[in-house]
Amino acid sequence: MQLRVPLLYILLCLVLAGLIHIAAVLALPGLAPKNAWARLVPLGPANTMIQIPPLAPGNEVMPMMAPDVRYAFCRFDLAQGPVRLKGSVPSDLWMIAFYTPEGDNFYTVPGADMKSAQLDLVIALADQTVAEAGVDAPEDADELFVIKSPAREGVAIIRAPLSGPSRMARTEDALKATVCSPLKK
Amino acid sequence: MLDKFTAGPSAPHATFRPASAPAHSSMRTLLQLIAVFAVALVLGISSARYMIEEGSFLTTQRAGPWASWLSEGNPNADPYTKAHLARSGRLPLTSTTARYFTASTDSQGYQLTSDCEYLIEGSALNARWWSLAVYDEHGSLIENPSQRYSFNSEEAIRRSDGTYRISLASNARPENWLPTGTGPEKKLVLMLRIYSPREIDSSGIGQIPNDRLPKIERKACN
Repeated sequence: MQLRVPLLYILLCLVLAGLIHIAAVLALPGLAPKNAWARLVPLGPANTMIQIPPLAPGNEVMPMMAPDVRYAFCRFDLAQGPVRLKGSVPSDLWMIAFYTPEGDNFYTVPGADMKSAQLDLVIALADQTVAEAGVDAPEDADELFVIKSPAREGVAIIRAPLSGPSRMARTEDALKATVCSPLKK
Repeated sequence: MLDKFTAGPSAPHATFRPASAPAHSSMRTLLQLIAVFAVALVLGISSARYMIEEGSFLTTQRAGPWASWLSEGNPNADPYTKAHLARSGRLPLTSTTARYFTASTDSQGYQLTSDCEYLIEGSALNARWWSLAVYDEHGSLIENPSQRYSFNSEEAIRRSDGTYRISLASNARPENWLPTGTGPEKKLVLMLRIYSPREIDSSGIGQIPNDRLPKIERKACN
């Protein structure tokens, strides 16, 4: 009989520990104040292409960024309508990746999968129709590549891996020429 | 709770209990419950912390010193991976487009440190592009005069069979030298990022065979 008391306490302890474990894991994403979204928001306004300067010790925006990749991002806000991403992709190493504020990478366009070197796509919510949003001509709307975002806000990041210092200038020029803007004029 | 089992009518020592016994034992029960809760708190938090930081068989692929979170960035990721991602502050690509492997120890399992020198030996990776970079334990690049923070598949000097050797050292080394900086001892973290692996499994996850990941051999220490 004496043994049952410690056993009861041990069981109680394990059940409690399990509940605390689950609560901690589920609560953590909301409690992490410096997630990637929180680091990107202060860098500039929404619906604008923002260049992340070449990485050097001390100027990193996020931990463990690739020093041999140039990054540009557009923090999109679809509240006023879809957002358009335009530019040219000079290398099939480029990756255009779309994230929710929680860091869910809901879509990625690898440069290698693109039919042409021209990047032209629209980010829209599931209930936003691109044709209604006022594209220049109706035939334009058919050619637009539309990415449905699960969240009203998010971020599109272009990763441009550097394939040697000689091509660095060309990569940076192409990144600077990309445009992110509301589709509706 | 305790006296339910010890102070029953048949308990031989029941008659010797002082008059204040009930209050005394309920205080004891309370203290025991507090202790149980404290132990549960420590166990629950530390196990959660460990599984979020280090990963587990549920979330990570391990190969020697290398670890890779399989569902990182995936919208359908498990809660451990989501917590890991939020804490890390990174925005990784999902494992269907890129694979990330990190190592904070050498192949023998000893912590990577700027006080030691390492030889990293790798073989060709079946992918469009890869890059091996070194960081301090906070994920920041390490200051060095040659401004060299990584080697990628286009830059690393490779032998005809595709293998390569990278020296991780604070002082200049021949072939591929990845500097670990000067100054006080730092813990080091290596990250191997592999873009567009060409072998994929049925769910589209890029496959990197374990034996293709670089070996990290400690050469000398200060």
